[in-house]
Amino acid sequence: MTTVAETKDPSPRSIGHGLPLACFAAVAFATPFLLSGNRYLAFVAGVTMIHILWASGMNLLYGYTGLMPLMFAGLAGISAYMVVGLTAAGWSFWLALPVGALAASIAGTILGLPSLRLKGFYFTLCSLVIQTVVTLAFVYFSGLTNGDTGISQIPLPSFAGTPLSGLAYDLVLAASAVIGVVILMVIVQSTLGRRLIAIREDDELAGMLGINVTGYKMIAFFIGSLFAGIGGALYAPYIGFISPRSFDVLISMNIWLMVAFGGRGTIWGPVIGAVLLAPLSFLLQEYYTVKDVLYGLLIIVVIVAMPGGIAGGFKRKRREAAAPVDVAASRRSVK
Amino acid sequence: MKDILLDVKAVSKRFGGVAALKGIDLIQHRGETLGMIGPNGSGKTTFVNVISGHTKPNAGSVSFDGHSLSGSNPFQIAKSGLTRTYQAVRVFGELTVRENVATALVDARDAASPDAVAEIADWLRISHRFDARAGSLTLMEQRQVELLMRLVQKPKLMMLDEPVGGLSSAEVRIMIGVLSELKGRCTIFVIEHTMKVIRELADKVVVLMAGEKLAEGPPAQILSDQRVIDQYLGTADA
Ligand SMILES: Nc1ncnc2c1ncn2[C@@H]1O[C@H](COP(=O)(O)OP(=O)(O)OP(=O)(O)O)[C@@H](O)[C@H]1O
Ligand SMILES: [Mg+2]
Repeated sequence: MTTVAETKDPSPRSIGHGLPLACFAAVAFATPFLLSGNRYLAFVAGVTMIHILWASGMNLLYGYTGLMPLMFAGLAGISAYMVVGLTAAGWSFWLALPVGALAASIAGTILGLPSLRLKGFYFTLCSLVIQTVVTLAFVYFSGLTNGDTGISQIPLPSFAGTPLSGLAYDLVLAASAVIGVVILMVIVQSTLGRRLIAIREDDELAGMLGINVTGYKMIAFFIGSLFAGIGGALYAPYIGFISPRSFDVLISMNIWLMVAFGGRGTIWGPVIGAVLLAPLSFLLQEYYTVKDVLYGLLIIVVIVAMPGGIAGGFKRKRREAAAPVDVAASRRSVK
Repeated sequence: MKDILLDVKAVSKRFGGVAALKGIDLIQHRGETLGMIGPNGSGKTTFVNVISGHTKPNAGSVSFDGHSLSGSNPFQIAKSGLTRTYQAVRVFGELTVRENVATALVDARDAASPDAVAEIADWLRISHRFDARAGSLTLMEQRQVELLMRLVQKPKLMMLDEPVGGLSSAEVRIMIGVLSELKGRCTIFVIEHTMKVIRELADKVVVLMAGEKLAEGPPAQILSDQRVIDQYLGTADA
């Protein structure tokens, strides 16, 4: 029988996260240096870092809260266009980034409102429509976005007056990916994570237990969209070019697939998903048909054969769930 | 016993053409165990759904411990100390029992201390299952977990929707024992088809029939009421 003493021990799960986190951070920060001789590979790694950040945000919503927001890329786009516009107007990138990310958060919270009424699949359909409308808006408001042509030659940001080197910006991207994962870990281990998981599992029961389902869904959207927005702001100057296609429904599906394929509702599954799939989509960029067929197949495989994803495959039973539990199991057994 | 805990006035609810509840009045005092019986589809679950905020009534008002619940969300009602169970047992099946309990503590009105949680779990004889996935438990164990999750919130009123539904007769006996001790922990409202439960637990019984209150009174009187026998007990396995 579990004793009170045993449950008061430091959570084995938080220790269990420490080592992978240290390894991940070490690899993330070492990669830009290791690949500094090959700009192309370093670039693929940088794009992967942005996708790790995105996948972590999508994981908060899809993996932990049970919402599937297919307008995720659109939110990243809102932030990207805003940051590009503001920097073109003379703003510092470092000031534009939080403003753009906040705009994405607010937009995401508002566009997430239908999820308060629509359950599961119906919200996903609705978010698909929202994504389409956002993409159309990027095309339509060409005064701000330059329409289908897109905006090119976006410069890398400067720091203290000098433009950042490729290596320095790669390190910024690595830091954002690591911080994103750490923030997700902190959320998942907190009571906020416990509430979100309860909402994912059974939102009516969660409400009956006193959890403000509406409020916490909105908080999840705010934070998840912040991940989308920061990623979008970092993406634009890195690629140097953005267009409505950079943030369309296929990109949303792509990020979703990283989470689902890697293992939703686990910290590391979606990171693995991003590491496997982000370079793939980049390397196959020239081969549209191959890429689309491959993605279609992957989506089917994930849905039919491995709903738990890669990480879910070997840890089906022991789902990563919130905070260390401060609940004593038995009083009798301590006596 | 003169302290009114739940005061329901003229509550009506219709689903399209079906009038599930027709102007129900009901008063439950603090500490009084109230039983509700009635044939299938008579509106018992709908009644609990209205009180717990899951269903909005078309008319009428509910006040709980002196405060109106009209327009409140389920989570606000829960935080005011009114809790319920579901006719079909409902736990977070993918989470462990320990995680289920921890979830119940997060936004509890008055969260029990770890020692108090341990005491309740021991009393319910569910301590040894704390690390099991709740979905893997037997029905009886899941019912015990349901009770545990409610009790760690220290509710004032617990509404039980058929708490012995689907249990074996041995389990029913154990559950009746648990529920009669539960009376010492909070006020109970219980829906049951099993008359044994009503006879042994209830101080007062309300009979629903096609959304209307047919009779109300002490169990001995209600269970021998000719109208109740004719319209309900005659057909039920009492
Ligand atoms: N969400 C709903 N939508 C439409 N009709 C409903 C809904 N909930 C209940 N009803 C109807 O309202 C009536 C009362 O149902 P309710 O579930 O309250 O009965 P009950 O007394 O709990 O029955 P049982 O003993 O079978 O549990 C039934 O006719 C039922 O079909
Ligand atoms: Mg019912």
